[in-house]
Amino acid sequence: MYGWIWRHLPGNVWVRAALSLLLVLAVVYVLFQYVFPWAEPLLPFGDVTVDGEGGAAR
Amino acid sequence: MSPRALLRTFSELCITIGTLIVLFVVHLLFWTGIRAQSATDREIDRLEAGWAAEPLEPPAPSRGGGPPPAAPVEYEPGQPFAVMYIPRFGEAWDWPVLQGTGTDTLKKGLGHYASTAVLGAKGNFAVAGHRRTHGDPFKDFPKLRPGDEVVLTDGTTWFTYRIASKPYRTVPSDVGVIEPMPRPLKDEAAAFDEPGRYLTLTTCEPEWGSSHRLVVWAYLDATQSVTDGKPPGLHS
Repeated sequence: MYGWIWRHLPGNVWVRAALSLLLVLAVVYVLFQYVFPWAEPLLPFGDVTVDGEGGAAR
Repeated sequence: MSPRALLRTFSELCITIGTLIVLFVVHLLFWTGIRAQSATDREIDRLEAGWAAEPLEPPAPSRGGGPPPAAPVEYEPGQPFAVMYIPRFGEAWDWPVLQGTGTDTLKKGLGHYASTAVLGAKGNFAVAGHRRTHGDPFKDFPKLRPGDEVVLTDGTTWFTYRIASKPYRTVPSDVGVIEPMPRPLKDEAAAFDEPGRYLTLTTCEPEWGSSHRLVVWAYLDATQSVTDGKPPGLHS
């Protein structure tokens, strides 16, 4: 999987390394910005209210 | 696909999943705290800027040290309207209180149960907060003891509530705890036996779980106008 990505990146080793780093940063950004905030309410740390009220994350 | 390629792909998948889990833990433990720090600072700044811009009419000084007459107040959902201080949690502990207890609201501060009384009014002013993640506002919740102060200000008045009960551990369905006259499932846990001006704080129990809730109750002990300075319970 990673070998496939590496082979399909253009340029010499340095360009590829830089592009890989960018890709990694982009993935981490998407995870922190969108995926983790979405996944977090599925875990129990947000249940701080007693039931029957707007509900902090079930 | 050769067995070698299969094995390599499988290994890469395992490493990827492991990395994802580590990143998620980093997100929960550190990133939500950093975000909460800036979000709460922003909410408090907004509040204080609003109070500075249009000082509300300070309530007429009440006779006999009683609470000021309750004016009809309405809070806007998701907006901050007060700042809470709990000296037991440290001098630097200050958190904005926002209207509502939705997930997004609780990321920016403490949440006021929308169905409960307003600050300082007769009934029960109930507030929920995270025990862990998002800045850990109620991390030290079990350390609260009867007599501890919970101080709030809405820009015009300082409200000093005094805690009346040790943290009470209950189940999530125990909604009686936030009623105007708190009625927990266990009768002997009830802190009050007549209507009054109360405050309820709720958070989760155990620390990282959701099977139970921790609750404390407090009663309104004193109020004073912000023009008279900070209440004695707050340092500096």
